[in-house]
Amino acid sequence: MLSRFWDLPLRKKISGIYILANVLVFIVNVFLIVGINGMSLEMDMVYQDNRQLNELSDALDDVQDSMTTYLNAKTSDSLEEFYRSDQAYSMLIQEMNTQITDMSYDRMERNIKYMSENYLLIVRQAIEAKRGRNVEKYRVRYESATDMYNYLSNYIIALNREQFAKNSENYNRLSKSFMTFEKISVIVLGAVIVGNVFIIISLVSRIIAPLGELATAADEVAGGNLDAELVKVSSKDEIGVVTNAFNKMVVNIREYIEKQRQSMEVERALKEKELMMETHLKDAQLKYLQAQINPHFLFNTLNAGAQLAMMEGADRTYEYVQTVADFFRYNVKKQDKPVTIGEEVNLVDNYIRILNVRFSGDIHYEKQVDERLLNVEMPSMILQPIVENSVNHGIREMGDKGMIRLKVYRDRDRVCIMIKDNGKGIGPEEIDRILRGKVVLSEDKKESNGIGLDNVIARIRLYTDDPEAVSITCEGEDLGVETIIRIPNTNTENENV
Amino acid sequence: MENDLNKKIYNRTLLLTVALLMVTLIVIVIFYQFYIKGFNQTDKGKEYDKYYVMITDNRKSSFMQAVYKGAFDTGQEESIYVDMLGDSLPSDYTVNDLFKIAISSQVDGIIVEADESEEMTRLINEAVDEGIPVVTLLNDNTKSSRCSFVGVGGYNIGREYGGQVIEIINEKRTAQEMGNDDTLNVAVLVNSNNQTSGQNIIVSALQETVEQRLGSSSDTEINVVAVDNTNTFSVEESVRDIFMNQDIPDIIVALDELTTTCVYQAIVDYNIVGKVTILGYYNSDTIVNAINRDVVYSTIFIDTAQLGEYCVEALKEYNELGATSQYFTADVMLINKSNVSMYMTKEEENAE
Repeated sequence: MLSRFWDLPLRKKISGIYILANVLVFIVNVFLIVGINGMSLEMDMVYQDNRQLNELSDALDDVQDSMTTYLNAKTSDSLEEFYRSDQAYSMLIQEMNTQITDMSYDRMERNIKYMSENYLLIVRQAIEAKRGRNVEKYRVRYESATDMYNYLSNYIIALNREQFAKNSENYNRLSKSFMTFEKISVIVLGAVIVGNVFIIISLVSRIIAPLGELATAADEVAGGNLDAELVKVSSKDEIGVVTNAFNKMVVNIREYIEKQRQSMEVERALKEKELMMETHLKDAQLKYLQAQINPHFLFNTLNAGAQLAMMEGADRTYEYVQTVADFFRYNVKKQDKPVTIGEEVNLVDNYIRILNVRFSGDIHYEKQVDERLLNVEMPSMILQPIVENSVNHGIREMGDKGMIRLKVYRDRDRVCIMIKDNGKGIGPEEIDRILRGKVVLSEDKKESNGIGLDNVIARIRLYTDDPEAVSITCEGEDLGVETIIRIPNTNTENENV
Repeated sequence: MENDLNKKIYNRTLLLTVALLMVTLIVIVIFYQFYIKGFNQTDKGKEYDKYYVMITDNRKSSFMQAVYKGAFDTGQEESIYVDMLGDSLPSDYTVNDLFKIAISSQVDGIIVEADESEEMTRLINEAVDEGIPVVTLLNDNTKSSRCSFVGVGGYNIGREYGGQVIEIINEKRTAQEMGNDDTLNVAVLVNSNNQTSGQNIIVSALQETVEQRLGSSSDTEINVVAVDNTNTFSVEESVRDIFMNQDIPDIIVALDELTTTCVYQAIVDYNIVGKVTILGYYNSDTIVNAINRDVVYSTIFIDTAQLGEYCVEALKEYNELGATSQYFTADVMLINKSNVSMYMTKEEENAE
């Protein structure tokens, strides 16, 4: 039952304690009031005996007087009066005590009762005798009754005195008791109130204690210490519920943070790995490229070859070697800076020339260039890869029928460079894939200089900030591919030259 | 586990507080019961089955008080309350008045110091008719239908007095204080309205004893002097009158406590200690002290407690059996210089 009390809701618990305290004070008060009431009643009753005796005395006088009056005058009024007083007196003495005790007033009361009965008997006899006109008899009875009356009156006075003494003593005792009772009442009430205060304080602090613990813990958690100790749940009230929730929350947060930490760890490891791989790859590629060419060595070698060819009078060989040397020099030199269209066109010329030597002049090369636009800037290594692509995929297998057309012209504020072949062409899907950069450079192409179309297109778009800077069209199978590059005209001052 | 422990502590606190409050309440209830309720019961005295009254003219005398005490103590053992009627009444009623009161109060028994008057006889008979047994104490009313008389055996007392008188004569003769021819005056103080037989018997026994020992022609003259006891203070006056005469008796025999005290005081006042020898009655403190001081020659010790006891027992027996002995006689002893110390210590013990 007690455990159930602790599981009650907070409101009920606290109300319960207050109600309990109040009920206790109330009960104590009721007891005290009942006690005080009883005592004051008792005090009221102290002199009751005396009042009764006075009444008795008066009634006795009435009986005697009415008897005397009747015996004197024999009026019916006095007889009536006599019967009434006789009745009243009889009633009074009926209630009197007949016990014999140590107490003199008890014995006196008893004597008075019997004497009164006797007296009434004699009085009635006197009245009867008077009615019967028995003169002698009623006179004797009257005398006898008068004697008795005197005795009785005296006896009642004596008893009254005795009672008064006793009652005064009682009254003194009562009033002393009353005062004692008052003092004790105050003490008891005080004790109960102090007890109540103690109970309320102890119980309420017991109830509130978990809240304090919870607050401390919450504070600690708020301060960032998630490892704070969990709060003990000691009751099933609101505090218990909140404490439970708090504990769960803390545990959940801890778990969540742990999970987060773990996943971040994994991600970080993955990224690290990836980065490492990339770095390694780049490193490898670089090393590879470095290993491939030492440009000075290559140029010197090629120059040496060119001079040898000139000395021997092999003009064509000289020219070829010179072309190759130029081609590679360009490759090495012009990579991170914008170049002019003229330089790019020159590279394409060299490339075609080299290919024609290699493939015995199979490729027809047609060039239509607006000379004014040769100084316009553009990214390097753009045109050659496109031409290379056209040669490799378009006209390689066509023998001496293959043709490459290069055209540089102006289209409003743009400079257009068109490269067109008459090869087998490609499908629209392929064009789409190329434009979306899905065609990746294949490493096994030995003929390539290492730069794929995707790279070219991406660089042109970056340079021009225009996704439409490159367009590829093919009008059908065996109708060749036309690639047009539009770059902004940076050479506007030369326009009118 | 810890939670359980916590809960246990909590429960203990709660239990403790509840217990504390219960204790407070119980204390209050007990306090209330004993302290407040108890107050009404403090007045209740012991209850008795029977109610006897003792009626006497001289309630205040230590003799009657002693008798009453004897009767009272005896009654206590038998669940009988013996009351000295008139003690608590404001007026000083006569024996007859008190007797009437007793009858109309329907007491269970009356002990009365009676006399031989007709009125007394009538009253005793009336009481007996009402079913109230009457015992006469010290003084009888022989004509009435009283059930019993409790007295001290006047004859014995008379003989004791006689013996004392003879002893005094012998002493005086030995001491040559009186010659063989001198006549010794003995005055016996008798209550004037004494219609009782008690004192008469004492006087006759006294006379008889003296005559028997010394012969009728003795030189001892025994006079009966009446002491007026009809009024409240007349005894003392009558006693003084004796000493106003020229003829102061040699020996005064007092036949009750009051007379003894008065005579004793008178001879002290008149400075005739030694000239008059007092034979007293009853062993009150004053009288015993007087013997010790040689003012009173001797006195009669009456076993008052026994007197009282007999009264109550006679009434009780009559109530129970309808009959009892007609006469009860209490023991009588002589106290004089030789054994007075014993009585004095006894008195002191009793006083304690």
